[in-house]
Amino acid sequence: MTDRTIAEKEVIDAVEHLDAQALHRWIELGWVLPHRDGESLLFDASDVARVRLICELHYELRIEEDSLSVVLSLMDQLYEVRCHLNALLSAVDAQPDHVRAGIAARIKGRG
Amino acid sequence: MADPYEVLGISRQATQEEIRKAYRRLAKDSHPDLHPGDKGAEARFKAIAAAYGILGDEKKRARFDSGEIDASGAERQEPEREFYRQHAEAGPGFKYERRWQRGGPDEDDDLFAQIFGQHRAGTRARGSDVGYTMSVEFAEAVNGAKKRVTMGDGKTLDIAVPAGLQDGQVLRLRGQGRPGPKGGEPGDALVEVHVLPHPIFRRDGNNIRSVLPITPGEALAGATVLAPTVSGPVQLRVPKGSNTGSILRLRGKGVASPHGNGDQLVELRVVLPAHPDEELVRNLTEWEAKHPYDPRKQGDQA
Repeated sequence: MTDRTIAEKEVIDAVEHLDAQALHRWIELGWVLPHRDGESLLFDASDVARVRLICELHYELRIEEDSLSVVLSLMDQLYEVRCHLNALLSAVDAQPDHVRAGIAARIKGRG
Repeated sequence: MADPYEVLGISRQATQEEIRKAYRRLAKDSHPDLHPGDKGAEARFKAIAAAYGILGDEKKRARFDSGEIDASGAERQEPEREFYRQHAEAGPGFKYERRWQRGGPDEDDDLFAQIFGQHRAGTRARGSDVGYTMSVEFAEAVNGAKKRVTMGDGKTLDIAVPAGLQDGQVLRLRGQGRPGPKGGEPGDALVEVHVLPHPIFRRDGNNIRSVLPITPGEALAGATVLAPTVSGPVQLRVPKGSNTGSILRLRGKGVASPHGNGDQLVELRVVLPAHPDEELVRNLTEWEAKHPYDPRKQGDQA
């Protein structure tokens, strides 16, 4: 998304409920993947949005960490499939009419 | 602007705890990041968050109830927020893709590889792999074993358990997965093997640890006793003056590995008779009276 990197302290200040201990635990669990530069951790905008989401799910919607790992795994799989589906849809969209019609007919035929 | 009580589906007499519960339930159903395919989710979630923004705060709720603020007034204070899905849906190759996949990404599982695999490779698609789990005895994992196992789906597999197998190790059996569509090559069976715990032996890298009970006499005077190993019992010389916690090494009786076999480490445990008689108690008490020592104090073990 963006190349701007954000320091750990800025992330903790910017996200409600967040403390360093929880952030480190989530990094340890592989839930958040900041870039490591020697001793310091650098976050991009997608990391911060993800940390904010995890905080919201955990502290506000009271999803326990055990369940949260399942939620995040399913969510990541969902987004991956959606990204690929979108890429596939735009590829279909770029095809000539008769190819698109052929694909549509094939999908309808199955349904 | 909708009435916040109606948005959260609660009565005006609801307690703060009831409000919190209603908010959590509705927010889980409408959080846009958890429902990316639901176009109405974002609008619903914002309405729920706005309603909770008023009712979740007892002071604001009182001001709303008395007519001091209205539902829309509070909503305008909400800053425009960014959702995670704006990042996650940016396109294939997002950094959190494949995070869920244990052991890292596998090219064969890529969606496009699945769709176009046939054409890309110029060959027919391969059948998919099938995962199984099974358990083996401790000794089978150490020494290796050949086993015929019928899996949960009725498939019978001949499995060669390699000597030195680790708990959780996955064995790949080529061609034992699903048949390939239209005559393609079959997939593989991936068998995750669990090692059952043993009552005596415990694995420690390539070494095996065990505890061997001995009598006080054997410990004091030394003795040759039979000690169990994974390849059968062997004679073990207990040196004179051994004690509980002394560790004896049986070279090469551990787990086989390409770098040479591990050892078995036998920890001695001095065990008193289950029903000590008068004579033993009297003799020992008299001896201790003449030779006092405190085993709880370092350097005073007589």
